Amino acid sequence: MSDFFSFDTLSLHAGQTLDPEFGSRAQPIHQTTSYVFSDTDTASSLFNLERGGHVYNRISNPTVGVLEQRVAALEGGSAAVCVASGMSAIFCALTAIVSQGDHIVASANMYGGNISLLKNTLPRFGITSTFVDPTDIDAIEAAIQNNTKIVFGELIGNPGLSVMDIEAVAKICKKHHLPLMIDGTFNTPYLCRCFDYGANIIVHSLTKWMGGHGTSIGGVVVDGGNFDWGASKKYPTLTEEYAPFSGINFWEEFGPSAFATRIRAEAMRDIGPSMSPMNAFLLLQGIETLSLRMDRHLLNTKQLLEYLDNHDQVSWVNHPDMPGHDSHGIAKKYMPKGAGSIITFGVKGGREAGKAFIENVKLASHLANVGDAKTLIIHPATTTHSRIDAEALVAAGITEDMIRISVGIEDVGDITQDFNIGFRAAKKYI
Amino acid sequence: MYITINNKKIFASTGGKIFDKKQPVALFIHGSGLDHSFWGLHSRFFAFRGYSVLCIDLPGHTHSEGPPLSSIEEMGVWINDVIQEIDASKVSVIGHSQGCLVSMEYVSKFPKLVKSLSLIASGYETPVNSFLLEAAKNKPKAAIDKMMSWGFGRAGHFHQGTIPGNSMIAGGYKITEGNVPNALYADLNACNNYKEGKKAASKITVPCQLIMGGQDQMAPRKATMALAETLPSSSKIEIIQKSGHMVPLENPNKCRDLLKTFIFANNPTS
Repeated sequence: MSDFFSFDTLSLHAGQTLDPEFGSRAQPIHQTTSYVFSDTDTASSLFNLERGGHVYNRISNPTVGVLEQRVAALEGGSAAVCVASGMSAIFCALTAIVSQGDHIVASANMYGGNISLLKNTLPRFGITSTFVDPTDIDAIEAAIQNNTKIVFGELIGNPGLSVMDIEAVAKICKKHHLPLMIDGTFNTPYLCRCFDYGANIIVHSLTKWMGGHGTSIGGVVVDGGNFDWGASKKYPTLTEEYAPFSGINFWEEFGPSAFATRIRAEAMRDIGPSMSPMNAFLLLQGIETLSLRMDRHLLNTKQLLEYLDNHDQVSWVNHPDMPGHDSHGIAKKYMPKGAGSIITFGVKGGREAGKAFIENVKLASHLANVGDAKTLIIHPATTTHSRIDAEALVAAGITEDMIRISVGIEDVGDITQDFNIGFRAAKKYI
Repeated sequence: MYITINNKKIFASTGGKIFDKKQPVALFIHGSGLDHSFWGLHSRFFAFRGYSVLCIDLPGHTHSEGPPLSSIEEMGVWINDVIQEIDASKVSVIGHSQGCLVSMEYVSKFPKLVKSLSLIASGYETPVNSFLLEAAKNKPKAAIDKMMSWGFGRAGHFHQGTIPGNSMIAGGYKITEGNVPNALYADLNACNNYKEGKKAASKITVPCQLIMGGQDQMAPRKATMALAETLPSSSKIEIIQKSGHMVPLENPNKCRDLLKTFIFANNPTS
């Protein structure tokens, strides 16, 4: 018998304290801006981080707090902070430790928004990045500079679908005393718990498979509690006095949750990308069935891969579970259940054929999201990655004929029937 | 802050305030395999109410130089070295689990500067399960699994925690993981070998309180009540029903309120 509750049990229960007054079985939605203090001493101690609890909704909320503890439990992290979106999770995580003059080593094969943040926005604040092939371990090490503060990548790159060898990258990071931050949106903790392989920080867009129903935007930063911030002088935001909280030293006071505490004390207070309690509730509902949905996503993905691979109008199919994929071996190591439910493929006939395919499928929804229970489809070069230049497009593994499918959990026969209609429309461009 | 004891660099967090020896001191002593951050929800409270706080890392734990000390008696003497080094004059000692054994050793032998003693989740002896002891030496992950599983009550197992977003059980796990195998094994072995607890407890004369967790599997009721019967009859015995062994993490507000009332009364700031 295990000493601890299993993943599925934690997906349903972690973080939730049963409502003592009414016994509500579902997590109540605490739709409030603020919280009544019992007395002035309690109020001041809450403000001064002397006791746990809630002060104002921008900083924390009981419903959001349950979601944070649930994700921390599923990932094996010491603490988590939920924010308004996956992008704000990345911003809050990075800016907790990088400042003007600092440098980031980042994967070139990431979501376009991630690339844009690092390439366009952060340089305005004096923070630069070097983009590298996430599968080239030597290139990652070579990109590390004296002012590098963090290495950042996605386990499964979006939309190139290369898989990062986290254990190897974590080894490099350890050698240079740098934290490794992984965007785990495409894998979810059900497919891979990146802390088990040496990652130190995990970020998610909860909007995707974690929530799983396309209802709510949300993000999370999970603190692995496994990085020694005090071993060097590189991380003064965590190891030196922070004046706004009477000179608090986060590393000394909060140990394994120092990083998460800094985000809550600074980013949530000064920038305020808070998650709404309603969104937290909806995301919690999604997480309750995460493993069930992921198993169905994977099953449908497997069958759709076979369908596409055998289709005479498909010029290429890309998914790490395909034996010929460059990351196949690495994917099997980190995600033995399956490497997620995103497929990219090329339609014969190029851009126009792709356009016809997308415009004629009816069941699959043409939109800019992934990880919904419903099947989604998009042309990355003209949408999600349209704001990055041609060179970055190539680095991200995006081609003009690429179609990205986020495989849903519908009956797979209905999906292939829908695709048959799309392919019929695309045929005239061959 | 860092201090030097027996030529070793020793770390203690001070609750975010500069240590001032003129103020009454609240000295927190952690349990097996843990460290100063165990007291995070208590240290700042006292530091911002006129106490100089010291949450020490015992030798060989987290930020303090090793090697770990090998007996509870040795640790008791070492605490006296700490008190001498910081030149404190009015000391409240707060111990958790193994920290209680160390506290009783120290206070029973060096009572002069001690104004109060708070013991949380302990008997006067802590016999350690042979599987756990062996695992701490050779299979640390199995040992930590057992300690965390037995140490936390239901809320801990569901990754709850009073600090928003924090999983107290995962936090405890990470700290202990950083102190294996040397410190964890040394701690558990020292607890297992310590047989002087009853004698030490019976010699205590300073005001004393004992706080117990109602769901504690590591220091069960029978053991803590035996300690209660050995302590001075004036001692305050408190039970926090909704808590396992990790009382200061599992029910920090209630635990802090009990500590506050007791320490404020016996070691006032003015």
